[in-house]
Amino acid sequence: MAQFLQQMVNGLALGSIYALIALGYTMVYGIIALINFAYGEIYMFGAFTGLFLVLTWKANLYLAIFGAMAFTTVLGLVVERVAYRPLRRSRNAGRLSALISAIGASIFLSTLMVLLHGPATTGFPTLFQNRNFVLGGASISLYQILIIGVSALLMVGLDLFVRYTKTGRAMRALSQDADAAALMGVNTDLMIAITFAIGSALAGAAGVLAGIYFNAVQPYMGLMAGLKAFAAAVLGGIGSIPGAVVGGLLIGLAEIMGVAAKLSDWKDAFAFAILILVLLVKPSGLLGRSIIKKV
Amino acid sequence: MRRLSAKGFLALLLVAAMAVSVAGCSTGSSSGKSDNGPIKIGFLGAKTGNVAIYGLNGLKGLHMAIDEINAAGGVLGRQIQLLEEDDAGQKDQATNITTKYVTADHVAAIIGDPTTGITRVAGQIANSHETVIMSFGSTGTGVVEIGPYVFRDTLLDAIAGPAMVDYAISKKGWKNFALVTSKNNDFSVSLSSIFRDAIKAKGGNIVVEESIQDGDTDFSGQVTNIKAKSPDVIVFSGYYTEGGLIMKEVRKQGLNNVVMIGGDGLQGADFWKLGGEATEGSISYAGFSSEQASGKTADFIKKFHDKYNEDPELFAAQAYDAIYIIASAMKAANSADPKVYRDKLAQTKNYEGVSGTITFRENREPLKSPVYLLQVSGAKDPASAKFTLLDKVPVK
Repeated sequence: MAQFLQQMVNGLALGSIYALIALGYTMVYGIIALINFAYGEIYMFGAFTGLFLVLTWKANLYLAIFGAMAFTTVLGLVVERVAYRPLRRSRNAGRLSALISAIGASIFLSTLMVLLHGPATTGFPTLFQNRNFVLGGASISLYQILIIGVSALLMVGLDLFVRYTKTGRAMRALSQDADAAALMGVNTDLMIAITFAIGSALAGAAGVLAGIYFNAVQPYMGLMAGLKAFAAAVLGGIGSIPGAVVGGLLIGLAEIMGVAAKLSDWKDAFAFAILILVLLVKPSGLLGRSIIKKV
Repeated sequence: MRRLSAKGFLALLLVAAMAVSVAGCSTGSSSGKSDNGPIKIGFLGAKTGNVAIYGLNGLKGLHMAIDEINAAGGVLGRQIQLLEEDDAGQKDQATNITTKYVTADHVAAIIGDPTTGITRVAGQIANSHETVIMSFGSTGTGVVEIGPYVFRDTLLDAIAGPAMVDYAISKKGWKNFALVTSKNNDFSVSLSSIFRDAIKAKGGNIVVEESIQDGDTDFSGQVTNIKAKSPDVIVFSGYYTEGGLIMKEVRKQGLNNVVMIGGDGLQGADFWKLGGEATEGSISYAGFSSEQASGKTADFIKKFHDKYNEDPELFAAQAYDAIYIIASAMKAANSADPKVYRDKLAQTKNYEGVSGTITFRENREPLKSPVYLLQVSGAKDPASAKFTLLDKVPVK
């Protein structure tokens, strides 16, 4: 039982990271129906920015997280401006072009990091002394509390922002009907840029948290994490913010429970098996609304 | 029927081509290998590229050995001449170089390649031209199986793995093992099966087996499973990156008195750079260590240090031994023709090399003793941490 609880804690920590990245996917999809496949790489750049700040400027935990969030915000805006906006403006470019552009941006960013840093895995310097707290037989480490805590804080913050601010309302309007929102005076380009910025900031924070938690940063770390977060977003219902959180946590838990059940060989398969199942059984996801095509 | 005949024609063509090439080689080789000029030895290895360090270190050992042999009058009254080409760690370049050595230079032996993959390719060519090839680095399978002219003087996992397990059980008193395998790493999968058999054979228990993949970073689930079985030690057959991260996670979950033991895959500075203090005391094995040397090895280290101003490592020592083993087989056979001295080479028994005592078994696989057990020390400061010699375990 204690071991089961322990695995729950492990799964929640892993799931929190997936959830943070999944939020970015789901927000962008909700607004412009684009899967931003460069997302995993923005997460990777977040991890490297945090690492850089800690190594060269001896930044503490908070500075590392905020610095990484600031940098990935800018990076997200640049990617949107360079890789997506021109395609959105062009009449000839359809959804598929945007998707291909996203994959191109993803490959560009990860190979850029290989050039800058080399392909090897780098560890994260110890930022604080770890402690273990015992909770009903399971021990939870300070690292896990940090991951779950910061993720929860950011997710609640995002929810409040989208629900209660004017910008948030504009974003929701845009996701319901882009043309109508534009007619009502919503600056769509600005809102889309803000969505990219927020999603990228979250991915940047997730990158630093993952770097600290796993103690491993490398240029291809975004690929698998991004794909799993994408599966999480689809599981929760792509376009739905609470759905992304639920999906991320479920994917994390499923993976760890698979390992606990002695199925480590299949660890990476779980997320994608779930993705396929969801697409077959309930394509709109757990909390997603089914989309009715208007004629 | 049409297809069959086409195939048959192709086969005929191949046979014809082979016959021509074999004939061509045998007429050429007799003139090159039995005259009274210098004995040509070809070096095969990388001098540039990712694995250049193995080749360059091997060359240092080779140069030293050849200078010594030539200064002492050479072999059978003839000097040894070393031919050097750079295969850059690429199989296609290695193929060209090996073909040149055996068909144009008519070398008496090829020393190299330090890696298993290239030795497999070059071994095919050398063996079919009846030229001895001795690898000073390959430890994987499918090397000496190629044919009677393929040799190596390395410490094999099949010898070192059981020696390590034996040490863990009899010297350290560890009984309960957690075995971790990286499932997408061939080296790890085959080493794990060696460890598994050895643990069972020597009376240990595997209390938990876990699998991971190269490139994974989250090991929390596996470590929780391991912790629940409270093993005495964790055996990991994979590489240093995952090894370091696993140990970090092990300490994070509060499993404090357990170290990791594993193969030479753990030997990289990233092991403690990623694992930090958690890797202190972890043990790996090697075919050579320059610490606590005695006799011939101590002499070698001193001379090497005088010549290059650094301590020799594994590949330098094994390359040095490789040429001496071949030279002594040539002397015993009174010939530098590989077709003649090969038999004496295959009978090498208890040769006292600088990297240990070497015997070729009936299948030409080397039996080396001792196995050097190395332990991580000073992991608290990754900049100065290193593997230090823990013990030398003789192999029977």
